[in-house]
Amino acid sequence: MALLEVRDLSTSFYMRGGVVRAVDNVSIELDRGETLGIVGESGSGKSVTCYSILRLIQEPGRIDGGSVMFDGEDLLKVSRSRIRDIRGKRISMIFQDPMTSLNPFLRVSTQMVEALKLHTDIDHKAALHKSIACLEEVGIADAAKRIHGYPHEFSGGMRQRVMIATALIMEPDLLIADEPTTALDVTIQAQILDLIKRQQEQLGTAVILVTHDLGVVAGTCDRVNVMYAGRVVESGTTDQIFYEAKHPYTQALQKAIPSLHTKGDLLYTVPGMPPDMAKPIQGCAFYPRCPYPKLGEPDGPPPELVELGDGHCVQDCQYCDRSKPIEEVLSKDVPEAVE
Amino acid sequence: MNVLSANGAAKSAARGNKREDFLSLHSVSQHFDRGKDFFTRKSKGVVKAVDNVSLTIREGEILGLVGESGCGKTTLSRTIMQLIRPTSGLICLEGKELSALPDREIRHERINFQMIFQDPYASLNPRMTVFDALAEAIRTRHPTARGKALRQRVIELLRLVGLNPAQMKKYPHEFSGGQRQRVAIARALAPEPKLIIADEPVSALDVSIQSQILNLLKKLRDDMGLTMIFISHDLSVVRYIADRIAVMYLGRIVELGDAERVVDDPLHIYTRALMSAIPQPDPRIERSRKRVILQGDPPSPLNPLSGCSFWPRSPVPHDERMKTVEPELVEIDPGHFAANCPFCLERSA
Repeated sequence: MALLEVRDLSTSFYMRGGVVRAVDNVSIELDRGETLGIVGESGSGKSVTCYSILRLIQEPGRIDGGSVMFDGEDLLKVSRSRIRDIRGKRISMIFQDPMTSLNPFLRVSTQMVEALKLHTDIDHKAALHKSIACLEEVGIADAAKRIHGYPHEFSGGMRQRVMIATALIMEPDLLIADEPTTALDVTIQAQILDLIKRQQEQLGTAVILVTHDLGVVAGTCDRVNVMYAGRVVESGTTDQIFYEAKHPYTQALQKAIPSLHTKGDLLYTVPGMPPDMAKPIQGCAFYPRCPYPKLGEPDGPPPELVELGDGHCVQDCQYCDRSKPIEEVLSKDVPEAVE
Repeated sequence: MNVLSANGAAKSAARGNKREDFLSLHSVSQHFDRGKDFFTRKSKGVVKAVDNVSLTIREGEILGLVGESGCGKTTLSRTIMQLIRPTSGLICLEGKELSALPDREIRHERINFQMIFQDPYASLNPRMTVFDALAEAIRTRHPTARGKALRQRVIELLRLVGLNPAQMKKYPHEFSGGQRQRVAIARALAPEPKLIIADEPVSALDVSIQSQILNLLKKLRDDMGLTMIFISHDLSVVRYIADRIAVMYLGRIVELGDAERVVDDPLHIYTRALMSAIPQPDPRIERSRKRVILQGDPPSPLNPLSGCSFWPRSPVPHDERMKTVEPELVEIDPGHFAANCPFCLERSA
């Protein structure tokens, strides 16, 4: 049985101006030791999915339905004290900005020891020793001395290392990393991704990696979910997503990024912008931006995810003709303004 | 009518006689003195944000400036605009020495430089409509512009950046991030600048919007012969848009050359490490390639290191000479410069 099985998870934000369906019928499956990438643009519901798994959604947000089966328990049904026990101990999370997730008034040692003492019967001295060992593990030199410093005395990359050490100190079964390297330099990003990978191999942790960077996904993930406007539009193994992408959004994204080897004059562009989530979406959310020839006006429910075989799922959209290769339909021009 | 019809840069670019030394920097340094400690009266040290940088920018070219955060990219661009006067060195625009001009004249000269910033949410005044913002920028060059002619110019500028002129009475918050960045670009073009400095203009944008803005910048350069300094930490973006690339590390340029040459055949180990750190959106490449992983963080510019400042992070074996011999930027292949530290240049690493 899979370690984490999310079924038809939906989360909405009930705002004065309307209801925003931030996550709509998202399903995720994750085995031990596996890495799942969730990719999408800002506002596509990647982070809200993660927060929903840990039940960290705050007012005016509410989880509308679905189930989150984690090791045989439905996290959406268990008691509050039970979920608090699971957070940090069996499921850990690291956030984008390490400065805002560490308390600036407390020494790093206090924060790490606190996490340990909360979940285990360990005395202070042993907890401190374990914390120091953990910091050494993530490559902080002179950890016995540095652990007594305050977060501002660490550089961005080191703070993220402290966060990873704190997240992994309880040896959780699942690590959720929400854009862990977006705020860091590429050289530091390479170090941090390398570190997460090594720790994962050592501890057998399953990882959900949320990112908007397809390059990061290519190097670290086993499977990928591509999200657009709150829905998974395509999911599959990393190779399927990169070499056999079927959804126009996945295809267009890959064509739009310049790589070190991009030749030629202009990049492919995806016209328009993501839809306004406060307005109800008719049919396919990508329809207004879809470069394929349109077959008809979208109406009714959003297209279903259909399995093509070998776990490769894609939204089966009936409103566009996807028979041509993507290169033929994508334009390289600067898109014209839309009203 | 071309919006930049009055721009000398555009004209001569169209004629094809491009100035080689459009903008030139001769050993420019920007040091920030941190003052003295109140009690001990000892100096707190000097931050060498930009140290001995020399380079020239050709007319109509895009120079990419790459490096990690804190390496001095932004300080260098501010020094070029004379927003901070350089501690030492010469900065000349079309042969005119800017660093020697008195403050009163520099204000006027600054019309020739325009900046595009990273965050289009922060760089546009939320209380000004797009029309007001562009009109104000146009008036810095043409103080008497008004009425129909002014309106006409605003419409042209908006068309140029792919925005609908019907939207010019809207406020910035009514636009999406990508559209706001287009407004910011239009505003930078409005005073008909000679040089545009784009400081991480696509870093805050989503991937699918990023390519729209990159295409726009490239098109504007091709159509109007703009000269641009494009600052970014993302080498693959810079490689795409720039003609030449300068790689900065700790306030110094360690490599400078044609974009393709710098990326395809880098000379300095730092450039190679920077490139190998960029994740490629291709799983097969990712699985097979070997990374040059740099140890630790860039050293603090507060305590300048002697010799080649790369030694604490160098992945290649080195000895004491690296810490003592001060490297210089030399021309190794024609048009391709690199800091001549013997350890950093070793090709076998």
